[in-house]
Amino acid sequence: MRPITKLIAAAAVTAMAAVPALAEDSIYVPNLSYRTGPFAATGIPLMDGQRDYITMLNERDGGVGGIKIDLEECETGYSTKKGVECYERTKEKATVTQPWSTGITLGVLPKTNTDKIPILAPGYGFSPMANGKVFQWAFNPPASYWDGASMIMQYIAGGKMESLKGKKIALLHLDHPYGKEPIPLFEAMAAKYGFEFLPVPVGLKEMQSQSAQWLQIRRARPDNVIMWGWGAMNSAAIKEAIASGYPMDQFIGVWWSGHDGDLKSEGAAAKGYKSISWSVPVPDAPVMADVKKYVLDKGLSKADPENVNWVFYQRGMVISMILMEAIGEAQKKFGVKNVNAEQVRWGLENLDVTEARLKELGMSGMVPPFKTSCANHTGHSGAWMLEWDGAKFVKVSDLLQADASLIAPLEKTNGDAYAKAHAPWPVNENCKAM
Amino acid sequence: MDLLDKIFVAPFRDMVDLPDILVQTLWEGFVAGILYALIALGFVLIYRSSRIFNFAQGVMVVFASLAMIWFNQKGIPAWIALALALVVMLVMAIAIERIVLRPLIGQPDIILFMATIGITLVLIGIGEWWFGGENQAMITDKLGVPGEQWDLRILGGRVSIRQQDVAAVIVAILLVAGLLVFLNRSQMGRAIRALSDDAQAALSVGISLHQIWVLVWFLAGVIALVTGIAWGARVDITFNLQVIAYKALPVLMLGGLDSISGAIVGGLLIGILEKLFEIYWAQPIMGGGSETWFAFVLALIVLLFRPQGLFGEKIIERV
Amino acid sequence: MLYRIAGQYKTSYTADQALFPVRQDAILLGIILVIAYVVFPLTASEYAFKALLLPVLVYALAALGLNILTGYAGQLSLGTGAFMGVGAYACSKLTTIFPEMNFIVAVLLSGFFSAGIGVVFGIPSLRIKGFYLAIATLAAQFFLVWLFEKWHWLNNYTSSGAIETRNFSMFGYYIAGPLAPTVVKYYLALVVVTLVTWLALNLTRGNLGRIWKATRDMDIAAELIGIRLMWSKLYAFAVSSYIIGVAGALFVFVAGDGAEPNAFDIPLSFTILFIAIIGGLGSVMGNFLGAILIVAIPAMLNDIPPLFNLTLESDVQEYINQILVGAMILFFLIIEPLGLASFWGLIREKLIIWPFPH
Repeated sequence: MRPITKLIAAAAVTAMAAVPALAEDSIYVPNLSYRTGPFAATGIPLMDGQRDYITMLNERDGGVGGIKIDLEECETGYSTKKGVECYERTKEKATVTQPWSTGITLGVLPKTNTDKIPILAPGYGFSPMANGKVFQWAFNPPASYWDGASMIMQYIAGGKMESLKGKKIALLHLDHPYGKEPIPLFEAMAAKYGFEFLPVPVGLKEMQSQSAQWLQIRRARPDNVIMWGWGAMNSAAIKEAIASGYPMDQFIGVWWSGHDGDLKSEGAAAKGYKSISWSVPVPDAPVMADVKKYVLDKGLSKADPENVNWVFYQRGMVISMILMEAIGEAQKKFGVKNVNAEQVRWGLENLDVTEARLKELGMSGMVPPFKTSCANHTGHSGAWMLEWDGAKFVKVSDLLQADASLIAPLEKTNGDAYAKAHAPWPVNENCKAM
Repeated sequence: MDLLDKIFVAPFRDMVDLPDILVQTLWEGFVAGILYALIALGFVLIYRSSRIFNFAQGVMVVFASLAMIWFNQKGIPAWIALALALVVMLVMAIAIERIVLRPLIGQPDIILFMATIGITLVLIGIGEWWFGGENQAMITDKLGVPGEQWDLRILGGRVSIRQQDVAAVIVAILLVAGLLVFLNRSQMGRAIRALSDDAQAALSVGISLHQIWVLVWFLAGVIALVTGIAWGARVDITFNLQVIAYKALPVLMLGGLDSISGAIVGGLLIGILEKLFEIYWAQPIMGGGSETWFAFVLALIVLLFRPQGLFGEKIIERV
Repeated sequence: MLYRIAGQYKTSYTADQALFPVRQDAILLGIILVIAYVVFPLTASEYAFKALLLPVLVYALAALGLNILTGYAGQLSLGTGAFMGVGAYACSKLTTIFPEMNFIVAVLLSGFFSAGIGVVFGIPSLRIKGFYLAIATLAAQFFLVWLFEKWHWLNNYTSSGAIETRNFSMFGYYIAGPLAPTVVKYYLALVVVTLVTWLALNLTRGNLGRIWKATRDMDIAAELIGIRLMWSKLYAFAVSSYIIGVAGALFVFVAGDGAEPNAFDIPLSFTILFIAIIGGLGSVMGNFLGAILIVAIPAMLNDIPPLFNLTLESDVQEYINQILVGAMILFFLIIEPLGLASFWGLIREKLIIWPFPH
């Protein structure tokens, strides 16, 4: 160790309860998580779900393919700077990077070609990452933000996109790369289908005082308000919406704005609020029984047992499942147990999560089946519309699919523009054209 | 031409066309102004007696509120939890006075300001560790604050007034009145004013610096708790709330760093003008989002004409 | 005994006015330069470069700029983050509009934009003083960050509003961007920082430095003896903002790989302010000491528990880090309010008369 690091340690450090480090032979999977800061409330259940699924696999099956998984969390507090630091600190042994923030994803994306560690950004990140030809080391299954935007609009139009003409759609979004990500697609859809698109930004410092934004919405009287919120913004928006009298059934949030914790305190007043989601909690799924048996009952979880049927907790489990599937596929293809980053990248590029496989895993109904390939790093699984019934989220639609005809060309052009802006950017020529 | 129309004509036309939105905007601005004024009050109190610009006021709001909620979650009734939270703030005041203020007596203002930033970081760390990182809902209903909303159908539209906001305004007025009475009529209040006038002279007549400082920081803690309850009526309590403290700064610039009435008037002015500008000018022309900087630019412009703020003491420099 | 200055005679004015008249000081500087230019590149790991050395350099440079404004000229400013942003966005636009421009030239030019904006927001300092001025600079801070988000031309119409870094090459080698080797980036930053520090040292030693100090100590008296206050204050804002702008460009293009507008928000301003104050207002070297303390210590706090075979939960680690950083700031403010530079000055004084007590 460098001599500099032998500093005087704080007394508090020694007073803390220690968690013994896992054995040497394991697959190292860092998670750039946040349990502190303004976004902790939305982050904690997701990261708990991720953790508990992996703990369950380690306890029940001894890991994946006979080797344990070492999930280590690095605290970022949703700050891009700390996220990039965490990435640098963990990248030596990491087989994957899970940035958990669109800002951090964008910060890390340029380095992926040189560092050769795949980014797994399920349902977030940069939508053009679907274009695997350009973004060889970035994956965002099972659905991207542009998919979400398209599916929400389809739900609003009830399947008949012509009915959108003349409507007014407001996008209440966090003024941060995450919130601004879907805007290009909304603008493209507004041009194509003839509706008026009104972006309403909420600054990071205004997350909890949104009265001006909701006054604007009240004045503009949009037919629907779509929310792209996160962290403290979600609960404040819902409170303001109820107070300003906006009809809740016209208020639709993206999958990160559909959090039980944000709606619980409002309860019945928020009835009718919808959120599109590619993961649905199934309380009596066989996998939940396993998690209860091997993790919760043994006290190995940090989660609150009351929250294990929340959308976010089970979504965290689904996300871990995606990663574990990729690792499993890589193990089978390359015939090694302790797979490295390149092999995990192959695994992520060749995922095939079918209904049958979901049934094997005990996760039927929790996520739609999807398949990735070198040209399609997203999978485009589709999603369901969930609605808050006063106590929990329930499914209110069939599986919606995104409109690829609008999204695919945008993925290509924006992906190519990114590659050009970051020239020289290596492109996978072996990939079949999108 | 279109831009000129948007700046000088359209906003006023909008105000007249939709008077209910105008009244709603004014009310929202008024309530926001009261809340800013409450935070500014905490700053003013501490600045007056010790010339310290207490940046930690924002985090004290969060800390006090979380303490009260924590006690309540352990099963203690709401009003007793409130009292216990006040005890926590007293302990905090004593700790800060002993550990931070005493060693730094006589240091320049910038050092003391930095020290309060250090206190902020420590409080955030301890607070998040102890209370957890999740959002907490303020227990306004358990404190007896009504949670309904009055929807007045007037002016051809609707003006919604939340009862919690009215309660917050009433409490703020009572708090300010109580503070003014305390400072002007009671012995301790006189001691505080003596200290802020001339610390040396106050010491020489036997006023204890340390006791007064603890008292002042405790009062700031009380104000912080009231602010937290008032804000908590509208939003969940999270550590993100401490950025509201930034909004108090232009209030202080306008009202002067050492004037209580200035803090109130400054707060109301900033609150109302900020909302009006945002709704009628910023949203149509710039797409919104001006609330982050409008208050500061406004205060800057005022200061250019009156460097001591609207109510501050005229700054006299001697060479 | 080590630092014996007795016996070092100067026989010409030039020699007397040298930057480091005491030989031991010069030797110490030489050792530091050798460590920086030779030892670190050979021994440091990539993580050490990215998390420790490069941020220390960039933050020290920004703190140097702030120190000139606050420490030498006495104008308290909380808008440092936004001015770094101006420099960064200026560099980004320059290299977008003139793709063939040499990267180093672009960095040095972008400082001028930052200087211009700095002068504009420095005009209130002619009327407003003290904390009021600090809050006025917050107007610059919040307004500029809002502008970075809203003005899409600035961020080249990216959906995220972030500055995207491409790879810059000079003489066929990559010097900035994701493909550039970290060592090269380190040298680039080091050279720029050395150059600017040398300039700042001479500036503050000379006439301008004395004018600034007079403005800081008692500006009315300074005006009475003929110093033009407006010129002095605005010049301080200009030079300071230039340095801060260059630091911002380095921050985004060399020490990092792009940045979003929120990266220049108020926490960055406070970090630079901490460094300037803990390092010592009114000193040049103090900024480096302060940067090492503020940047390197928290990064290294994460490496301590493994030494004791403890694995802490990530959020607990974060809480402890935050408490320790706050406590460290308080600790240094209490034991040495004048900053680490004056601490070093004390040690140096003791070394000079050692082994005698006085």
